[in-house]
Amino acid sequence: MADDEDQLRAWMMRAQDGNSQATAALLSALAPRLRAFFRGKGANREDSEDLVQETLIAIYTKRAMFDPNQRLLGWAYAIARYRMIDRWRHTKRRGHEMPIEDFEHSLVAQSHEAGDPLRDISRLLATLPEKQRTAIELVKIKDMSINDASAATGLSASDIKICIHRGLKSLMALVGDADAFNPALVPIASRDTLS
Amino acid sequence: MTTDELIAILARSPEPAHPRRFKVHFALALVAGLAIGLLALKLTLGFRPDIGMAAPVVALKVGLSALIATFAGGLAIELAKPQTVGNEQTKRAASPLIALALGSVAIGAITVFATNPEQRFEAFTGGGFPWCLVAIPIMGLPTALLLLWVLKDAAPTRLMLAGASVGALSGGIGAIIYATFCSLDSIAFVTIWYVAGIGISSALGAWLGAKVLHW
Repeated sequence: MADDEDQLRAWMMRAQDGNSQATAALLSALAPRLRAFFRGKGANREDSEDLVQETLIAIYTKRAMFDPNQRLLGWAYAIARYRMIDRWRHTKRRGHEMPIEDFEHSLVAQSHEAGDPLRDISRLLATLPEKQRTAIELVKIKDMSINDASAATGLSASDIKICIHRGLKSLMALVGDADAFNPALVPIASRDTLS
Repeated sequence: MTTDELIAILARSPEPAHPRRFKVHFALALVAGLAIGLLALKLTLGFRPDIGMAAPVVALKVGLSALIATFAGGLAIELAKPQTVGNEQTKRAASPLIALALGSVAIGAITVFATNPEQRFEAFTGGGFPWCLVAIPIMGLPTALLLLWVLKDAAPTRLMLAGASVGALSGGIGAIIYATFCSLDSIAFVTIWYVAGIGISSALGAWLGAKVLHW
């Protein structure tokens, strides 16, 4: 366990310096631990995967706030716990949420069919703040790389990533609402969980 | 998006993080908050007229306030980082602040009881309503708002506690400012009501922190 801690901390220190491999190694090593943490707290599979992703994004965006005197796992679990509490607050206010993966599937499905469903996506996208809409359009629909999207918009790469994730999250909520009058927008697999 | 895809996106060309940036912003917020507060005091009520002659006692009052602010600041910096419940480091950072506050009030209480009964009430209240209860949180407000803004950008996970520590720190700054105005110099008054004013500021900070520190 102590070895783990040292290895994770070493990756974090290099991630703070902007090392890509160390960032990937750190996040990949934390993901299964976070998954176990959330499942252990009683989250279902979709919720826990969503929480894992939110926590990984938070760990990434807040990596400057890791102090080498702290234990890395303690630090990561503190963020995980905070994200979970934050999510409870939100779900209480908004009702159910749809896992991010299902929305991605529906995005892909729509782009194959073209025609009306695509217009629905644009209609949903139109309700997002401009930054988030542009980021999602460029990267997720037009398939640009994060860096190209960053160059095209003048936003920083991490800004683009954050915009995408926030945008996808609000889209998920919107899809949940739209579901009532447009079931085609929701992949079959997730309809059961939504009903 | 699967979690592996997300990790790949996040790890694609990450920028270097700036671990020192938070403390720089924190320090700037403190200096700016203190400067704004002092300027606001000068433009409205003004400093106490005998501030030159009373410099030693003003320095004592400023010193007590600054000491509280220092301990509260250490705590606020701890709580800006993700913390688990019951963290030992946090407790260590909190204990000198609590000890100092209790010690100060205890000294005040002893002084009040050592005063002869006719003057006791006046020594206790300063001969009217202790306005510093209101003035200290107000004069610390610019600092509090700036610090909350800085802290929201950090990663506090115990929002109410983080807010309380920011409130105590801002209250300390407010008390430093107030000490250059207030002409009540009795030990009982300063040790009790200044600390109480900082306590009120801390309570307001806890309430505000829970509301605004989300990230």
